[in-house]
Amino acid sequence: MADLHITNLHVRTEDREILKGVNLAIDKGEVHALMGPNGSGKSTLANTLLGHPAYEITEGQIVFKGQDITEAEPHERAKAGLFLAFQYPVSIPGVSVANFLRMAMNAKRDEPINVKEFRNELQHAIDLLDVDRSFTSRHLNEGFSGGEKKRAEILQMAMLAPDVAILDETDSGLDIDALRTVAEGVQRLHDEQGLGALIITHYQRILHYIKPQFVHIMLEGRIVLEGGVELVERLEREGYDSIRQEFGAHV
Amino acid sequence: MSEAETNESTEVAGAVAVKPGRHKEATLHEALAGAGAGDGRTLAQLREAALRAYESLELPVWRRSGFWSTSLTSLHLDALEVRHHASEPARPLPEIVAATLPDRPRAGRIVQLDGSVVHVELDPELAARGVVLCPLEQAATDHAETFAQWYSKRLTLDRNKLEAANAAFWTGGAFLHIPQGVVIEDPFEIVYAIDRAGVAQYGRTLIVGESGSDFRVHEYELGGDFEGQALHAGAFEMYLRDGARCRLAQVQDWGAGAGEVYDVSTRTVIVGRDAYCHWLPALLGGHLVSPHMELAVTEPGGDMGFRGIFFTEKEEHLDAFAVDLHETGPSGGDVHWRGAATGASRASFEGLIKIEPGAQQTHTYLQIHTMMLSPKARLDAIPSVLVSADDVSASHGGTVGELDEDLVFYMQSRGLDRATAVRVIVEGFFEPLLAELRDEPLEELIRGKLAAKLAAAEQDIETYAASR
Repeated sequence: MADLHITNLHVRTEDREILKGVNLAIDKGEVHALMGPNGSGKSTLANTLLGHPAYEITEGQIVFKGQDITEAEPHERAKAGLFLAFQYPVSIPGVSVANFLRMAMNAKRDEPINVKEFRNELQHAIDLLDVDRSFTSRHLNEGFSGGEKKRAEILQMAMLAPDVAILDETDSGLDIDALRTVAEGVQRLHDEQGLGALIITHYQRILHYIKPQFVHIMLEGRIVLEGGVELVERLEREGYDSIRQEFGAHV
Repeated sequence: MSEAETNESTEVAGAVAVKPGRHKEATLHEALAGAGAGDGRTLAQLREAALRAYESLELPVWRRSGFWSTSLTSLHLDALEVRHHASEPARPLPEIVAATLPDRPRAGRIVQLDGSVVHVELDPELAARGVVLCPLEQAATDHAETFAQWYSKRLTLDRNKLEAANAAFWTGGAFLHIPQGVVIEDPFEIVYAIDRAGVAQYGRTLIVGESGSDFRVHEYELGGDFEGQALHAGAFEMYLRDGARCRLAQVQDWGAGAGEVYDVSTRTVIVGRDAYCHWLPALLGGHLVSPHMELAVTEPGGDMGFRGIFFTEKEEHLDAFAVDLHETGPSGGDVHWRGAATGASRASFEGLIKIEPGAQQTHTYLQIHTMMLSPKARLDAIPSVLVSADDVSASHGGTVGELDEDLVFYMQSRGLDRATAVRVIVEGFFEPLLAELRDEPLEELIRGKLAAKLAAAEQDIETYAASR
């Protein structure tokens, strides 16, 4: 079984069913892209995987590293090695990036991380993401630009070293320089730490910097098409409309 | 929570255009008006006048239409008494004091337990430089001239029965006198503790900072673990003369155990010419707490930062009134309060900016942010602005918020459990004010108290989250 194994996942919110039977398997070290038009259920899947309370799983199962985490609390999933880079990271007033990182790292450990080790890891992540040192003493996401928020997400990912990370539209709203930095950061974490990644995106451009081995197309709550990087090229040529036409019967 | 951009927050007030005479006082309580009772009368005469007021007044009930009443009629005043303890140098600190106060360098410390001062210490070097720290009772005789000049200069004695009780019956007390130009880095600690039921504590503090002095005062009001009623009716007055500076903080925690401590107190800080005061009361608990806090600029060039924190839990009732008073200009003010409520507690904060005629070129701002953490709690923030000068700026603002579940989820997704996430959010909510204390032991003490209160309220917070 894959490290992250999603079987027949049905998810609803208060008013409607959003995911209608999603199957997906991701192993550590693999890069997957999940593409689809707005409203197809990509973000719902991302939030459900981390256990957002607003989404109710009505059917199906999520297994992570052999453990059924379908009902697990969000922090238990995180401690098991899942990570979500948020599409819209919230700001945390009064808590600095560095303090938050230390808290999050300590939550995963039995003994608190020592100061020197923390500093070294922080410096490594800072270099990786090309952010200023002063960045880490600012309150997390408070007054951050869109690009800074996304960098802060990847910085956290680098520090927490998850086995599988879900990147929910990390590319949206980024200019090309920021996009390159973020994408290269993810690629290096993949290369250095064997990160498994599910890159959720609406566009193709981030996939010019991170090469996925597997591409999944989602339409109306289902994964309708799977393949390799050639699917990205097809989307680039034909757009979602042709896929919608082809799979229209199913959705 | 408190951010305007989150949909759970509501802007309660914007800036108001300031026109003289156009604003009504929306607050229930009224600001002190100018001179106090100490108009040349002797202490005995003042006690006598206060006793007459005490005998003629009923226990106060403050009725707030549309909200609730703050009533002291449930206080069995006749069953309480002023208990005295022998003051011996070797006497150990009361347990609650020893357990609470941070171990840190200090300039001096005075501790009143129930009706008596049981502990006084002062850095001998400061004593040699003329600094005085002693029980107020002692100051009335040993420093009669200063005492007569300042005692009750701005405090009244008959606004309500408990104010009169303090002025008539006060015992022990604290007197701190900082001579001209003396600059002291470490804080003076003034402690009022009650460790048993049945006690009426009439505490009274008088502080004078002479010209150019610069010092810190940390005041503590602490209650031990006991069952039954007790009363603290306090009076506090501080006078900062030309160019004096003081950072004043107050930690009030009468305990949330079975003890029912009533605290009805009046505090006033008078900021003289070019003087400055940064004042942060942290009101962290008590059965019924009704503080009147007034920071007044009375001479040109005075400036102040009035900060405050409150946190209510269980059945606690807080009715706080804070005044930012400007009697002359140019002057500056900056009032910023933050409060949260859990359990079935009720908290009301009324903030008043009052600019007197002639206080031209006053610039001040009042902001109040609140966070609701329980479905059964009630929290009201009432700002008001009373302006009688035309060349001034005064405005108020604030937010009313609840716990932001998206913030909780974000932190949980990073591995923090729910209780920790909530604690971090609430700490972060108070952090802008705590960081301003610029005093790590005190910051840590308040953080620790907030964390303990949150842990105790965890179930409540869960219920609230589930109900929304």
